[in-house]
Amino acid sequence: MKQLTLPNDIETIPQLNEFLDGFCEEQGIGMDFAMSLNLAVEEAVVNVMNYAYPQGTVGYVDIQAEADATQVTVTISDSGIPFDPTQKEEVDTTLPAEERKIGGLGIHLVRTIMDTISYEYADHHNILTLSKKLKKQ
Amino acid sequence: MITINEENEGLRAIFEGRLDTPAAVKAQQEIEPLIENADKTIILDCSHLDYISSSGLRLFLSIRKEAGAKGGNVIIENINDEIRKVFMMTGFYNLFDIRNV
Repeated sequence: MKQLTLPNDIETIPQLNEFLDGFCEEQGIGMDFAMSLNLAVEEAVVNVMNYAYPQGTVGYVDIQAEADATQVTVTISDSGIPFDPTQKEEVDTTLPAEERKIGGLGIHLVRTIMDTISYEYADHHNILTLSKKLKKQ
Repeated sequence: MITINEENEGLRAIFEGRLDTPAAVKAQQEIEPLIENADKTIILDCSHLDYISSSGLRLFLSIRKEAGAKGGNVIIENINDEIRKVFMMTGFYNLFDIRNV
């Protein structure tokens, strides 16, 4: 298992990328998978950085990554205001450009890329668990 | 990160590296000339773009919306396979004129 803690500052996102690339490399996970995982986790972490803590206050987000023979699991937790991103309404990706809304794409990408998403609020923490199956070689 | 050149009475914006969340926030100002010239042909050259997040997609969408309103065109050139996947997942593939040149 590998762990990273970041402050609620989106400027630190490149550190998340480095962390996940390192994790995937150690696990022998391919580039395609790593890139998709990176995108899903970035979207989920940015969501926490932007919304979990009141503006102007410092808070943290913890990211844990682990893998077994069948899947990769990433757990994202924070001690901010309780928020369940899995309850967010799905965007309509079939609308023409004029009608497309600017928001909601991040969580849509998380849902599309990952195989399972689960949320719980425990011990004053938001805990979001994302997993993605590894393809059989 | 973004280089903008005039080309054939329009603009070509060359994106490089990673358009992740912090990069997209910075790019918001850099794309102003594209928004201002959205009545012309705008080429988003992605030949050297490695990665895009939803905030990068939002930039592209805002250019596309502006062009739609002002009667311009937006052409996206040379997205890599990973970015193509992201365009497919979000339905962006159908919103843009995407070309391999």
